[in-house]
Amino acid sequence: MDLLGFYPLFYVPEFGSAWLMGITGVIHILASHTSVGAALLFAFLAYKAQKENRTDLYDYMKKYGMFLLIFSYVIGSITGPGIWYTATAASPRGISALIHNFVWVWASEWVFFVYEVMGVFALIYFMDKIDKKTHLKLTYTFAIASVGTLALIIGIISFMMWPGTEAYYVTGSSSDAFFGLNTFPHMFLRIGFMIMLSGIIGMIISSAMKKENPELSAELTRKLGWVSFIGSFVTVFFFVWYVETLPENAKVLLGMVKDSIIQNRILLAVIFSIYFIFAIVKPKWINTPIAVTMMLIISIVGVWPGEKLRETMRKPWVAGQYMYSNQTIGRDVPGKGIKEETTRLAEHGMLKLNPWIPEHLRTITPENRLEVGKLLTRIACSNCHSLEKDGKYRPLIPLAGPMGEEGIKDYMKNVIGTGASQYMPQIALPDAEYDAMAAYIAEQAK
Amino acid sequence: MDVSLFINEMRDPAGVPFYPVVFQGLYVLTWALHALFVYLAIGAMGVSIYGGLKQKGDAQWKQITSHLLMTGKIAVSVLIVLGVAPLLFSQTIYDAGWYVTNALSGAWVFTFIYALVFGYMMYYWYQAANKKGATSSTLIGVISFVFLVFCGVLMHNFSYESISPDKWMEWYAPDGVVDNSGWNFHVDTVRLLFMGAMTLPVVGVFMQVYAKFLSSRSDFSAEYLSFVAVVGKKIALIGFSVATLLFMAWMYKAGYVVHPLTVGAVVLYILSAYVSIGDKNAYVTATLLVVAILVVSAIRELIRYDIMSKVGYDLYGYPLNIDWSSTVLFILTFGVLGLTGFAFILAMAWKVGKSEGVFDGQKDVLVSKLANYSLMLFSAWIVAFFGWGMITLFKNTL
Repeated sequence: MDLLGFYPLFYVPEFGSAWLMGITGVIHILASHTSVGAALLFAFLAYKAQKENRTDLYDYMKKYGMFLLIFSYVIGSITGPGIWYTATAASPRGISALIHNFVWVWASEWVFFVYEVMGVFALIYFMDKIDKKTHLKLTYTFAIASVGTLALIIGIISFMMWPGTEAYYVTGSSSDAFFGLNTFPHMFLRIGFMIMLSGIIGMIISSAMKKENPELSAELTRKLGWVSFIGSFVTVFFFVWYVETLPENAKVLLGMVKDSIIQNRILLAVIFSIYFIFAIVKPKWINTPIAVTMMLIISIVGVWPGEKLRETMRKPWVAGQYMYSNQTIGRDVPGKGIKEETTRLAEHGMLKLNPWIPEHLRTITPENRLEVGKLLTRIACSNCHSLEKDGKYRPLIPLAGPMGEEGIKDYMKNVIGTGASQYMPQIALPDAEYDAMAAYIAEQAK
Repeated sequence: MDVSLFINEMRDPAGVPFYPVVFQGLYVLTWALHALFVYLAIGAMGVSIYGGLKQKGDAQWKQITSHLLMTGKIAVSVLIVLGVAPLLFSQTIYDAGWYVTNALSGAWVFTFIYALVFGYMMYYWYQAANKKGATSSTLIGVISFVFLVFCGVLMHNFSYESISPDKWMEWYAPDGVVDNSGWNFHVDTVRLLFMGAMTLPVVGVFMQVYAKFLSSRSDFSAEYLSFVAVVGKKIALIGFSVATLLFMAWMYKAGYVVHPLTVGAVVLYILSAYVSIGDKNAYVTATLLVVAILVVSAIRELIRYDIMSKVGYDLYGYPLNIDWSSTVLFILTFGVLGLTGFAFILAMAWKVGKSEGVFDGQKDVLVSKLANYSLMLFSAWIVAFFGWGMITLFKNTL
């Protein structure tokens, strides 16, 4: 009997391995989005500085650039591969699906990364060492390269949500996978956010210049207020379009949390609108502690819930609506010759088809039943649930435990096993494996 | 269960979008570039820490220390970005090894990311402290150094685990008890020591290149440059000796000691050392050394290929789903836009380095043309991207 291509399982007790990815992801988003936004801002400032012969703007760019080196090119460029690494550990087949559909797209993005890294050092350290026109050209190409990195990653992360049309499943082509319905709205939504973020972070630098050059500090804070305002408008506008291009399962999940999301977004919009208006009208009121606080607010109250929502809405899939979050292939992709695996799992069971099951656990006995149940539950459920009683990540035991052993089995077999849940993968297994899982979960709930 | 029974099943069902041998070649090339900057970063940092201790009252050490610090700082950024490519190509064709390793050492993977963030941030602090002449700068440098070396050791752990398929099951479920903790840690000591030793010849040769490059500038004294070249030569000589011996030991252990690639690498090391000692031409030494690292990268890949083949992994039989659109995207992005852009920045950097005042790129034919071509190509790329996207979207939706 052919085995299925599963991988060993990495599991973080209490939190679940997906949390590691979430933490790294949020840090990276802040750093990388700032980087692209700042690259666009630099292009604007360098143009203005060169045209109006404003040497003071170069001083500001240098300061912002030094901040950017640490924030985006230390933290951002490490957490970028960091998401990849942690996602690989948490969801190997999900990442593999992306890699094998988009390796050349990623490799193209890498070309822009290399240019960006070389470019940022040249841009900052050559500021006083090359003529302004050449520096301006460098700044323009740097900005386009930064947007290029976004352009190339956006189709991949949009594909994680869904390919957008049926074409990909038929052709298997990476361009059909990449340019789905929500690729462009998603791209402009992020560009808006990047512009806003570059302004929010830019105000940290401009407000810190108050003592040495109060006029310049006020002028820049005012300009950055406008930049942020425009960025936030673009973000909100494209967010609405983005939501319209989501798949049905995502809309269902979004509907479940819509009220709290709307409240959160309205609150953020009000707070930041006030902040940006103050920056424009009374720039001298903005000081560094306020600017830093606003950056933290957007990180914790804006980015973290936003990314968590995107991850939640994707359920039960992690890639292309064919790879389930629990690493099982849930549908055929004829264009790639990919076959769904749930039918074979239902017939032969995880214990027979997963190569990483220790031999003594392949057959269920009264002695190993709970141990088998624990392993199967980890394999099937731990990508979305922590399995401890007091787990922090959608804890499974308080959710399923009260149903009792029979109730759990019944729910697994008739709801999850048939694929009736809109946000959980179809986990179709033989009865004996459901029994072992139900026994384990019920035992944990005691 | 014996891994040979299922190793081919772990290949991604989507197949690969182009011939595996091409990814293999790109892997060898990009790993060599990545390794070069790893060696340079760690080596420059190590010498800068030594220099930090010597610089009080010694203007020459003071100057080279600050320059090595800057070199190391940039090299870390470059090694990170260059490291993405071999990572990508490796998991495209050797996904089994890569993903198993990440699961076996998942906790270390997470540790690696934050250790690297911390170590690199400390590096920035180290540079700032050194500039201010703070007494704590050496301590900060040592902490940063330890973290960055630790990251190198972790990366070695991942590489070694990924080419140990016969041990995967034993590591995942020792005595039949599944361990999902991700704390697996295993090293091949000789191989690791060789990788560490390579930092010495690389930084030594870099110092010789530095001296030669700046010899055309009147604002750097001949005495200072001679001092740097001599220190570099000493480090390179020790480094070549130690690294060659460790390389031979590694090859002996791995069973490749008489392989033509091994012989080629040793000959290149000896030649590099010879040119280095004779002060003949630092650019030639550097070129030979880069080729040597490329050959080592090829041997490294050969070892992996042989190990994986022995357990039945059929690399060249990886299901092929050629994807022309993304293949063309990469070829054009890398071959046309990338190379032009890199040439622009490198040419500009070279000329800035050679200039004593402000370099006027507008008056320099090469830099000016490369800047204009780069800007044109980058703009055209963005237009083509949107055009491609819209045509695809209209085709699939209208």
